[in-house]
Amino acid sequence: MEIKNKTFKVENKRWVIGSILFAVLLLLPIFTLFYKLLYLEGNSFEYLWKNLLLDYTFNTFYLIFITTFFSLLFGIIPAWFISNFKFRGRNFFDIVLYLPLAIPSYIMAFTYSDILSYTGPIQSFLRDNFYSISVFFNQDYLQIEVLGIIMALALYPYIYTVSRVSFSLVGSNYINISKNLGLSSFRTFYKIILPLSRPAIFSGLFLVLMEVLNEYGAVKYFGINTYTTGIFRAWFSMGDVGTAIQLSIILLIVVFSFFYIEKYYHSKTKFYYKTNSKIQSLDKLIGLNKFFVILICSIPFLFGFIIPLFFILNNVFLTFSVIDFKDLFQLTFNSISVSSIASFLIITIALFFLFIEKISKSRVNYFISQLISMGYAIPGAVIGLGLIMMFTYIDKSVSFTFLGSFSLLIYAYTIRFLAVGKSPIKSSLEKHPESYDDAGKNLGLGPLKLLQKIHLPINKFALITAFIVTFIDLMKELPITLILRPFNFDTLATQTYEFAVEEMIPLSSIYSLTIILIGSILLLILKNIINKQINVS
Amino acid sequence: MKNIFYTLIMCSLFLSCDSNEKKSNEVNLYSQRHYSVDKLQYENFTKLTGIKVNVVKANADELIERLKNEGENSPADLFITVDAGKLQKAAELELLQKVNNKTINNNVSDDLKDKNGFWVPITYRARIVVYSNDRVQKSELSTYEDLANAKWKNRILVRSSSNAYNQALMSSLVANLGNDVASNWSEGIVKNFARDPKGNDRDQVKAIAAGQGDLAIVNSYYIGLLLSSENEEEINAGKSVSVFFPNQGLNERGSHINVSGIGLSKNSPNKENAIKLMEYLTSDEAQNTYVNNSYEYAANPNVKPSKIVQSWGTFNRDKLDLNMLGKFRQEAIRIFDKTGWK
Repeated sequence: MEIKNKTFKVENKRWVIGSILFAVLLLLPIFTLFYKLLYLEGNSFEYLWKNLLLDYTFNTFYLIFITTFFSLLFGIIPAWFISNFKFRGRNFFDIVLYLPLAIPSYIMAFTYSDILSYTGPIQSFLRDNFYSISVFFNQDYLQIEVLGIIMALALYPYIYTVSRVSFSLVGSNYINISKNLGLSSFRTFYKIILPLSRPAIFSGLFLVLMEVLNEYGAVKYFGINTYTTGIFRAWFSMGDVGTAIQLSIILLIVVFSFFYIEKYYHSKTKFYYKTNSKIQSLDKLIGLNKFFVILICSIPFLFGFIIPLFFILNNVFLTFSVIDFKDLFQLTFNSISVSSIASFLIITIALFFLFIEKISKSRVNYFISQLISMGYAIPGAVIGLGLIMMFTYIDKSVSFTFLGSFSLLIYAYTIRFLAVGKSPIKSSLEKHPESYDDAGKNLGLGPLKLLQKIHLPINKFALITAFIVTFIDLMKELPITLILRPFNFDTLATQTYEFAVEEMIPLSSIYSLTIILIGSILLLILKNIINKQINVS
Repeated sequence: MKNIFYTLIMCSLFLSCDSNEKKSNEVNLYSQRHYSVDKLQYENFTKLTGIKVNVVKANADELIERLKNEGENSPADLFITVDAGKLQKAAELELLQKVNNKTINNNVSDDLKDKNGFWVPITYRARIVVYSNDRVQKSELSTYEDLANAKWKNRILVRSSSNAYNQALMSSLVANLGNDVASNWSEGIVKNFARDPKGNDRDQVKAIAAGQGDLAIVNSYYIGLLLSSENEEEINAGKSVSVFFPNQGLNERGSHINVSGIGLSKNSPNKENAIKLMEYLTSDEAQNTYVNNSYEYAANPNVKPSKIVQSWGTFNRDKLDLNMLGKFRQEAIRIFDKTGWK
């Protein structure tokens, strides 16, 4: 094949072809699925259209809207205060606002529905002590709006992280200029900082959106039909593959639209952060303002972490006598080992693709790099099934059984979570000016040396960040593990889910607590890294 | 740095590759059941026979998909579900083989068995009505069909139609009464909803306690779970309702039940061990373990339910061929979709 792209550089040809082959490997299960589905097609679009599509679409977008709104609110405002003002507790909040990311959104949803329920602590307390008020609180809380807020509490740290870094990096120069021009603090934020941070915020929001589109457990529990629940229902319950494929395609179109919007914003406001020699002086807050800011920063932390954690701890306490510690230890080991192996592979592959995209500057690679992120938007169980179908053929032709092996599980994780590992590395690579590459090339460095001598060291923090973020996501992962796991293999997440789905939330609490603790420790490490990053820049 | 990098890559590749050695002294299960009692059963079985039990737990439909694709290479010996419909589906897809074993046949009640011999019941559960002790008189209740009556407007609570238990109930109505009657019934129920379907079975009972509705359609064993909860408020909620078995009148068909069952996979590599496990799980001993740990009913007629379950009294089961719960599944879901039962 002759490639006519002018910007394509011959010296990188091998790398580019390598990346294409690799990308094919990553996309193969998805292709297999569509290939297989097309053969099994049944014409049910009219049925879908008539009975379900409107409901699915409305719910999906309404849930996205609410989750987006609240996660922006919980993410951006505290990030702004913490980046620009000095107040007591600032460092504390800066650390703890990340922590809700350690709680899987389905655990957050199950926990909150228990807390808010008629037999939960709030309503019980009010009933016993303030009967007249309790009547007012006796509501049906399993509502889409409530779920949106709960999901936002679990997911806002994606936005907080990127906003916090971006607000700090945009830096004092812009802020000082705008202040000299007489803009108020709020107007500076609204007119200067927010637009400059828009690409960063959108990349965080993108992760939030993908999580919402993919959510199954929580959404099903709240009785809300989205595209994803629709795919499961059509395919599994009805064996109606035609409807499932149509819904998958609609879901992919939605995802691609978000991709496009992100790309659009990205290309419109591309600029490089200037290194900031002057450390920005922070305004000290006093009096009522201080109180107000502390209150605002406490809300996401309190509701996103402390309250669910307290409730889970209480359940652990109640069920302490029946905890099987040997089992707990085994599951913790399983979760940690499988997540670290997969995270390591994911960041290696992500770096590979991004680096080639950067050095080749070829459109093909840009496109590939976008395409391999697609896995993140596809429901885990659908990827799992794609792999099962694909390896059915492979296993028959070779004597080795991949199905039910760890390698297959990790392959599936890679497809699904590559985008998560890519995101921090990508934004870090973009921050460094092109001149580094040019200088390296002028010094006669080949691609591998360029990676090793320049990009690995300067993106070190981003790589560690990517590892941690991916690790946490993998530890929370559920559908892929459920469907592809080897015999007798349980993780903390699968055990939590099995108890929760059997309506035995208290018994699941020790496992969810372990997930949360491991996640929290890693997030604290991550926070340290981000702080260094901000200070270094 | 470089060395560490390569070492890690090699390590991860090494660790992620593993061969599935075939050992003869084991049995492999694909199971939809994941209660604590199951783990106990398998441990007891291993103690008794020395046969190791390996389990993959997942959703029944996903396991069927996995079985179907693995074909002859499948390591699975047994397929366990909590819905006869899924066993019927697996049998229809030719994923199971017939089992004709005297011990097993003698262990379980005849009317719970698969007429075609592809699967064996291990426990069963009834999908029943619970009602508020304060707001509903027992005498007002009669049949499932009656729940569509306008007198229950804004009073009925039930979970989503995505739930397999509801799908099985609707399938039983289609099988017993026909498509039109079932559709009208569904329409009536939707009109009587106290709120949109949501939550799990326990949540429906809590919603009765909270006064959001007066009746709920739930599986029997969830009431048992609620009454044995660690949370006192949940026990109170469980006590604020009573259990009613519908369709018990003279010449009525009985309450809808569904089984948790087990099928021998078509290409079972450890067939002998698999049959031993089936024999064990239907035996008096194992059946007693089930009823005392999960509030289900035993498929073995010699074994009485747990104390809590006995306190609800006995009832007549709907004698419908349980394979119909799978046969009419698609139609059931279409009815849900058309009548707006979310």
